[in-house]
Amino acid sequence: MRKENLGEVLRKNAVTIMFVLLCIGGMAVSGQTPAYVVYELFGRLSRNAFLVLALIIPIVAGMGINFAVTIGAMAAQIAALWVVEWGVSGLGGFCLAALLTIPLASFFGFLIGKLLNKMKGQEMIGGMILGYFANGLYQLLFLFIFGNLIPLKTPGLVIKGSTGVANTIDLSTERGFKYALDGLWRIPFVQALLIVCGVVAVIVIALMATKKLSAKKGGITLAVFAALCLLVQIPAVAQIFSMVQVPMVTFMVIAALCLFNMGIMKTRLGQQFRAVGQNRTVANAAGIDVDRVRVIAIMISTVLAGWGQLIFVQNMGSFQTYGAHEQVGLYAGAAILVGGASIKRATNRQALLGCILFHLLFIVAPSAGKNLFGDAAIGEYFRVFVSYGVIAMALVMHAWSGVSRKKRPESALKA
Amino acid sequence: MKQNKVRITVAAVLGVLAAVLIVLGALNMPQRTSEKGAQIISDLRNRSLLIATGDGVVESYVAIAKKEATAAAKAAGGGMSAIREAVAKAEEETRAKYSNSTTDYSTLDTTALTEAAAAYAEALAAYDEVALTAEEDYIAAHIAEAKAAAEAEREAKIAAGEEVGEEEEVKVDMSGFVATAEMTALLAEADAQYAAVGEALRTIYPVLDDSALATLKDTIGDIVYQRGDSFTVQYDRYIAAGSGAAVSDKAGAFMIRYADDMIYVGLALIIAGLVVLFYDVLVAKLGIPRVIIGLFFILLCFMALLYDLSLPTLLSNTIVRMGMNSIMVLAMVPGIQCGISLNLGLPIGLVCGLVGGLMTIELGLPGWSGFLFAIGVGAALAAVCGFVYAQLLNRLKGEEMSVTTYVGFSIVSLMCIAWLVLPFKSLKLRWPLGTGLRNTIGLDSTNFAHILDDLFAFEILGFEVPTGLLLFMALACFLVWLFSRSKTGIAMQAVGNNPRFAEATGISVDRMRIIGTMLSTVLGAIGILVYSQSYGFMQLYTAPRQMGFIAASAILIGGASTSRCKISHVIIGTFLFQGVLTLGMPVANVLVPGSTISETLRILISNGIILYALTKSGGESRA
Repeated sequence: MRKENLGEVLRKNAVTIMFVLLCIGGMAVSGQTPAYVVYELFGRLSRNAFLVLALIIPIVAGMGINFAVTIGAMAAQIAALWVVEWGVSGLGGFCLAALLTIPLASFFGFLIGKLLNKMKGQEMIGGMILGYFANGLYQLLFLFIFGNLIPLKTPGLVIKGSTGVANTIDLSTERGFKYALDGLWRIPFVQALLIVCGVVAVIVIALMATKKLSAKKGGITLAVFAALCLLVQIPAVAQIFSMVQVPMVTFMVIAALCLFNMGIMKTRLGQQFRAVGQNRTVANAAGIDVDRVRVIAIMISTVLAGWGQLIFVQNMGSFQTYGAHEQVGLYAGAAILVGGASIKRATNRQALLGCILFHLLFIVAPSAGKNLFGDAAIGEYFRVFVSYGVIAMALVMHAWSGVSRKKRPESALKA
Repeated sequence: MKQNKVRITVAAVLGVLAAVLIVLGALNMPQRTSEKGAQIISDLRNRSLLIATGDGVVESYVAIAKKEATAAAKAAGGGMSAIREAVAKAEEETRAKYSNSTTDYSTLDTTALTEAAAAYAEALAAYDEVALTAEEDYIAAHIAEAKAAAEAEREAKIAAGEEVGEEEEVKVDMSGFVATAEMTALLAEADAQYAAVGEALRTIYPVLDDSALATLKDTIGDIVYQRGDSFTVQYDRYIAAGSGAAVSDKAGAFMIRYADDMIYVGLALIIAGLVVLFYDVLVAKLGIPRVIIGLFFILLCFMALLYDLSLPTLLSNTIVRMGMNSIMVLAMVPGIQCGISLNLGLPIGLVCGLVGGLMTIELGLPGWSGFLFAIGVGAALAAVCGFVYAQLLNRLKGEEMSVTTYVGFSIVSLMCIAWLVLPFKSLKLRWPLGTGLRNTIGLDSTNFAHILDDLFAFEILGFEVPTGLLLFMALACFLVWLFSRSKTGIAMQAVGNNPRFAEATGISVDRMRIIGTMLSTVLGAIGILVYSQSYGFMQLYTAPRQMGFIAASAILIGGASTSRCKISHVIIGTFLFQGVLTLGMPVANVLVPGSTISETLRILISNGIILYALTKSGGESRA
C-alpha cells in the first residue's frame, strides 16, 4: 500500500473537510445547545440514512447518483395513500405499504433503467429530468385519478370543493402508521450504546475465537467501544445525549441495509455491478449483459428509496402529498457526496458520515443565519445553496479528473 | 402495402365524415338568420317567459290561498297552531296544483306574447346601443382623470411603505354618469313595450297583478335581451332555463345551434385524415415529438372553438408569450452551436438581467432610457459571468449538461441570499417591513412595463399585435443569424460540429466556446428583461430556476437537437410550446374547472421533450 501524502488526502476529501469546518462554525454561531443539536441529529439520521444508503448500488454500477430515487419515493407515497385508505394502521400498515412498494417501485425502476440505458453517460441529468417528468404524472394521478375516477372514502384524504387528493396526508390518526417502526422499541441513548457495544463485543470475540480477526485489531475495537461506554458515563457527555431516544428498530433496519450493501458486492451480481461500473466495454466483452445489470441496479435502488421514504414519513407522521418526494434525490445525493463519495465510488461509511454532516448543517444553518445576518431565511437559502453547490462541485471535480485522465496519455504520446 | 390500404381507407372514411359534417354545417349556418331561426328563438323565448312568469304566478296563488286559509281557520275558531297547519296545507296544495310540471304550455295562445316580446327586445336593444355609446363617451372623457388619480394613489402607497400589487387596469368611476335625454326617451319606450308584454302575459295568467309584473320586470328583461346576444347565446340561455320542449323540430334546432361546431369538427377530421395519410412523411420530416405537440396544439385550437372560447384572444396571447419568451429561447442557439449543448446554466444570465432591471428601478430611470440601461448593465454583467462560466465549461468538455444544471441551480440559490442582502433602497423593490427584496417586483408605467409590447401596438379583428415585441424578436433573431453567417460564427459552428476537425484547421476551440457561452449568457440577460417588461413583473428568488428548462424544451420542440439548431427552431418551438400552454389553461378549465392541469401539462411537455432529446443525444452503444 502506497502512503499518500497529506496534500493528496486533503485534496481528495476537500468537500468533507470543508463541511466539517462549516458544521463546526455553524454550531458555534447558532447558539443551539449541543443536547438539542444531537437530539435533532438522531431524529434526522433515523429518517434519512436509509434513503442515502439506497444510492450506493447505482453509483457502484457506474450510473452516478440516482436522482430518480424521487420516483421510488412516489411509489412509496402511492402505497401509503392506499394503506391509509384501507385503514390498515400501525406496524401492519407500515409493512403492507412496504410490501406494496416492492412491485410498484420495481416496475418504475425497470422503466427508469430502460430509459437510462438509452442515455448512457447522461444518467444523472436524465434521472433528474425523469424525476421532474414523473412528478407531472404523479400530479395527474393524485389530482385527477385518485379521488375522482377512483373514489377515496376516508375522510380527510379528499377535500370537498377541490379536485384530487388533499395536500397533506396525515398518518397520526388511528388509520395511519405514524411511528410504526420508531415506536416499537425506543430507549435512551446510553442504554442503546451499551446494547450496541455488547453486540459488537460478542461478534468481535466470536470472530477472534474463529481466527477470522487478528487479536490486535479485535483488541483495539473492543477497547474503543469500552472507552465509548465509559465516556458517556461522564455527566457532561451524558447531558448532551440526554434528550435522545434511539428508535432501535429503525437503526437496525438501517444497519441491515448496510450489511445488504456489503453483502451484495460479494455476490456474482455485485461483481457485475462493479465490472460494469468500472468499464462498460470491458464488461460487455467479458460477457456481462451490461444493460440488464444496470436495470437491476436501478430497480434495487428504487425499491430501497421507496422503503426509505416510508421510514421518513412514518417518523414525520404526515407528508405533503405533492411535495414530500421532490427534494428526496437532491438531499440524499448531496449527503452522500458530502461524506466523501464521488459519482464513481461510494461506501456505507461515506453515506452515513455524509448524512450526519449534511443534516448537522441543516439543523444549525437557519439559526446560524439568523445570528450572523439577523435573518433566518438566509440560513435556509444557504443550505439549499449548499445542497446544489455540493453536487455541482462533485460533478465539476469528477469531470475535471476525467478530463485530465483522458489528456494524460495524449501528452505522454507527444513527449 | 396492406398497411397503406388500411390507412387510405381510414383517411377516406374520415374525409367522408368530414364532408358530411361540413355540408350539414354549411347548410344550417345561414338558417340562424332565416325565418326558421327566428321562429326557434321566439318559441324558446316565449316558453322561458311563461316558465319565469309561471313561477311568479304560483307565488301569487300561494299568497291568495294562504290568506283564504287563514281567514277560514280563524272563522272556524281554531288556535294559532290550527291556523299554521291550515296555512301550510293550503300552500302545499296550491303549489302542487299550479307547479310547472302540470301546466300544459302548448295549449296556450301566445301570438300576442310573441309580438310584444319581440317589440320589447327590439326596444331594449335600441336603448342598450345608445347607452353603450354614451357610457363609452363618458369613459373616454374621464379616463385621463381616473388614471392620474390611480397613479397618485399608488405613489402615496409606495411612499407610505404599503404593499403595492400589479398595476391594475384603471376603471372610471361611473357614479357620476347621467343618462342622456335620448337614453331616457328610449327607456320610456322600452317601458311602454314592457307594459304590452305584461298585458299579453295577463291574458294567459289573469292572476298577475301590477306589483307582480313590477317584480318580474328585471327577470323578463334579462330573458328577452342581454348585451351581446346572438343565436347561440340566446339558444343556450333558453335551453338552460328549461325551455327545450317548446321547439317543435328539436333535431333541426340542434343542428342550427351547432352548425359552426359541425364545421369545426369536419375541419378537424380532415386534418386527422391528412395526418393518417401522410403520417410517415410527417414523422420523418418533423420527428414524433413535434408531430404530437403540433397536433395537440391544433386539437386545442379546435377545442377552444367548440367551447366558444375566443380563439383570436387566445392566439394573440400566444403571440405575446412567444415574443416574451423568444429571446431566452434564442439564448440556447449560440450554446448549441458552439458545442456546449443545451445551456441549462441559463439562470446565470437571467440573474444578471434581473440585477440590471433592479438598478433601473433603484435609479428611477424612466421608459426607454431605463430599459436600455437595464439591458446594458445586464448584458455587461452577463458577459463577465459568461466568460468565467465558459472557463469552467472548457475544463469539462463532454459533461456540460449535468454540470451546467447544478451550477445554474447553485447560482440561483446563491442569488436568493443576495436578494436578501443587496443594498437596494427603493421601496418599490424592498419589503416595507422585514429585510430583502420583494418576491415579485411589479413594474409600472414609471419604468419599463410593457415598453416593447405597447410600441406601435395595434388591434386587428380582435387580434392585438404587440408590434414592438415582435420587431425586437425579429431583430434579435436576425442578429444571431447574421452572427452565425460571419467568419467567427462559422468557426464557432465548426467547433460545435467537430472540435477535432476545427482544432486541426487552426481554430481555437476554447476561444470559440467562450464566445458562444458568453453570447448565450448575454442573450439570457436580455431575454429575462424582455420577458419581465411583457409580464409586468420581475420575479426574483427561485423563479429563474426552471426557466432554463423551459427555454431548452421550447427549442427542442422546435426541432433542434442537443447539437444542432436553427433560428426557425426557436420561433416554431416557442410558438408551439407557448401556444399549447396558453390554450391549454382555458380549455382545461372548461373540462375540469379550477384545476391546475395546465401546470401539470407544462411539466410533462417540458421535461418529456428534454428526456427525448437526451435519449437521442446519448446515442452510445450498449457497452
